[in-house]
Amino acid sequence: MQRRDFFKTLGTAAVVGATIPVMSFAAETKKKGPNAFTYEQALDVITGGKKPVKSDKVHLKVPEIAENGAVVPVTVEVDSPMTDSDYVKAIHIFATKNNNVRCIDANLTPANGKAMLSTRVKLGGTQDVAALIELSNGEFLIAAQSVKVTIGGCG
Amino acid sequence: MHIAAIFGLGMAANGCTTPKTAAQISLKDLYDFKAKGNVTLLHMCDLHAHIKPLYWREPSTLISAPNLVGTPGFLCGEAFAKHYGLEPSSLDAYFDTYMDFGTLAKKFGKMGGIAHMKTYLDRVRAERGNENVLFLDSGDTWQGTGVALKTGGEAIVKAQNYLGVDVMVGHWEFTYGKERVKELIGMLDAKFISQNIVGNDPFADDYEELIFEPYTIEERGGAKIGIIGQSFPFTSTANPKEFTQGWSFGLRLESLQTYVDELRDEHKVDCVVVLSHDGFSVDQEVARQVHGIDFILSGHTHDPSPKPITINNTVIVIAGSHGKYIGRLDIDIKDGKVKDYEYKLVPIASKMIPADPTGVKLVDELYAPFAAEFYEVLGKTKNMLYKRDTFFSTFDQLINDAIMDEMKCDISFTPGYRWGTTVLAGEDILMDNVYEMCGITYPNVYTFELQGQKIASLLEDIADNVFNANPLYQQGGDMSRLGGVTYDIAVANKAGHRISNLKVGGKPIDLNKTYVVSSWGGNLQNAGSNLRKDKTRPVYDIVRDYIKREKIVDVSNKGNVTVLDYDCGCPVKGSRGC
Repeated sequence: MQRRDFFKTLGTAAVVGATIPVMSFAAETKKKGPNAFTYEQALDVITGGKKPVKSDKVHLKVPEIAENGAVVPVTVEVDSPMTDSDYVKAIHIFATKNNNVRCIDANLTPANGKAMLSTRVKLGGTQDVAALIELSNGEFLIAAQSVKVTIGGCG
Repeated sequence: MHIAAIFGLGMAANGCTTPKTAAQISLKDLYDFKAKGNVTLLHMCDLHAHIKPLYWREPSTLISAPNLVGTPGFLCGEAFAKHYGLEPSSLDAYFDTYMDFGTLAKKFGKMGGIAHMKTYLDRVRAERGNENVLFLDSGDTWQGTGVALKTGGEAIVKAQNYLGVDVMVGHWEFTYGKERVKELIGMLDAKFISQNIVGNDPFADDYEELIFEPYTIEERGGAKIGIIGQSFPFTSTANPKEFTQGWSFGLRLESLQTYVDELRDEHKVDCVVVLSHDGFSVDQEVARQVHGIDFILSGHTHDPSPKPITINNTVIVIAGSHGKYIGRLDIDIKDGKVKDYEYKLVPIASKMIPADPTGVKLVDELYAPFAAEFYEVLGKTKNMLYKRDTFFSTFDQLINDAIMDEMKCDISFTPGYRWGTTVLAGEDILMDNVYEMCGITYPNVYTFELQGQKIASLLEDIADNVFNANPLYQQGGDMSRLGGVTYDIAVANKAGHRISNLKVGGKPIDLNKTYVVSSWGGNLQNAGSNLRKDKTRPVYDIVRDYIKREKIVDVSNKGNVTVLDYDCGCPVKGSRGC
C-alpha cells in the first residue's frame, strides 16, 4: 500500500470509527447550555447566520422508519475532491427535534481522503435528521430526511 | 361519513348482461389464457396458512391519503369494479370485492385451498412443460391458521413442498423465531432468499453480513432468470423484536440496485424479477427508484390486482391473499431481453376447479391430530363476521367484545392485520375460525394502565402509519381496532392532527386520567404501567370462552369511527366520494 493511500484509509477509518454520538461544542456556544438551542439556533451558531444550501452532493442515508429509535444508523457522504484547495471541513449531524439537537460534529482535513461519516443517533420521536456540511471555501451545504420513530404498526 | 359495516349491499345490476352463475361459467373460462413466450412464472402471496378453502370478503372501506385514493393498492368495492371493469355479481366481482358477498358466497362457494391450487398449477405445468415454469411465493405463508400455529409452521412447509414452490421470501414467517425459521427452511424444498436482511449485532459473526442468499438464478425455457428476494422491510417494528434480534431489515434500495446490476452485468441474466413482500404501493415506489427490474411479484397488502401496472418499465403484479388466486405470468424472453408478456389473476374457485386427491389427503392428515379441538362448534353468528376494512370489522369487534367482557377494561386494542377469515351470517363458528383470526406466536392479551394523553398520541401515531401520503412511511396495515372508544378522523390532515372527538365509554377522553387498557398483537403494553400479570391470557382462549358463553353472537355492523373528509368507504380517484 502506498503511504499516501494508507493515510487516506486511516483518515476515513478514524472518522467512521466515531460511532458514539459526541457533543463537542465550540467556544462560541459556551454562553448557553446545549439544551437551550432550537435546531435553527444551533445551525446559526455554526454557520454564523449564513444560509446553508440544499445540495445533492450531500448523500444522507437514514431509514424512513427506524427499527429502534435508540440506535438509528446515519451515514453522510459528500462528493468532494478533498484537495488542499477544495475539501469538506466539517460534518455536523442534527436530530432536529431532540431536546439536544446537535448529535455529532466531525472535523475533517484533506488527509481524510474521503468526506464520509457513519454513526448512530438516538431519536426521541419522529423528526428530521439533518447533515450540515462546512466547505473549505466557507460555504455550507445541507441535507435532511424525515425518520419515523413508531411504537409499531400492524401486520 | 359514518363508516358502518356494509352487508350484502350489492351494486345495482345494470341489466345489460346476465352474470353467469358458477354452473354457467365453465372451467374453460377460468383456465382461458393467451399463452405467450417461453417462460411462465406462477405466483402466490399471503396464503396465511390457509391450506383449506375458505370464504374471504374483500374490504368495504379502504381509505388512504388523498394523493393515493383510487390508485391500485387503494381500490375497493364499487371503485375497484369500475377501475377494472368488473361485471356486477360475476365470479370476479365475488372474488375481488365485498359487494353482495353473502349471496354470492352461496352461489360460487369457497375460495382457494391447496388441493384446488395444485390442480391449476399442474395444468399450467402440463401445458407449458415443467422445465419452463417457476412457482414463486411472496411470503406470509407459514402463519395464519391453527394448524400452522400448532405445528410451528411445519404443516405449511409440507403444503408448499406439495405445491412445488421454487422460491420464497418472508414476513410473518419470522414470528416463529430465528432458530425455527432456519429449521423450517431446512425442511423446505424451495429456496428462501432476501437481499434486505443483514446482521446488526456487532458481536456476532454475521455482523453486516447477509443472513440469506440475496438472489437466485433459475434457468427456464432456455432463459436465465435472476430472482432477487425482498422480505418485509418493517418486520422488526411491526412484530416483536425478540423474534429477529440481531437482524436488521429495511427497504435497502441501494443494495437492491447493486444486485440488479450484478445480475445483468456479471451473470448476464435475461430477465430480472424481484420477489417482494414490500406491499403494492411501496413496490410502486421501488420501481420509481430502482432501475432495470423487469417484474416485481409483490405481496403483503393483499390486493387482488386483475391487471399489472407498469412504472418506469417495471411491471408489478400482486395476487391477493389467503390462496384465493394464482397469478400466471407468461414471458417471451429472447436474446437477453423481455419482448412481451401476458398476465392473468386466476381465481381459485374451489367449487369449480376439482380438488387433487393427494392434496385432500394431505390436508386431512395435517388436520387429524387437532380435529377434535379445531372442529368444535363454539356458537353461531347472526351477522357476517369478516376482517379487513380500514377502521372496523365485525370479527375484530367480536374479539374486542370478548376481551372487554373478561378484562373489564376501559379500552381494548385489536391489531389491524389484513389476514383472518369470514364466517357467513347464520353459520357455526368453529375453534378453527378463532385461530384463523388470532393464531399468532405472541397471543397474550395484556391489561395495563395508560394515560389519556398517551392514548391520544398513540392513535395519531398509528393513523400516520396507515395514512401517510408517502407509501415509504406506511407499514401496510389498517388502523388498530378499538373497543370502548369512538372517534372522528380527518384522514387528509397533517400527522398528529387527524383525530378529534375522542370518547371513551361515551365520555370525552380525559387526557390526565389513567385508563385500563387491554391489547394484544403489538407492543402497546411497553408504553403502559402497572401490568396486571394475573390477567394475561392468550386471545384465542378469551374469544373461545366468550363465544361459548354467548352461544349466538350478534355483532352490530355499526362502526365506531366517523370519517370527516370522505363520503364513502371506497372512494374513486381524485375525489372524496364514490
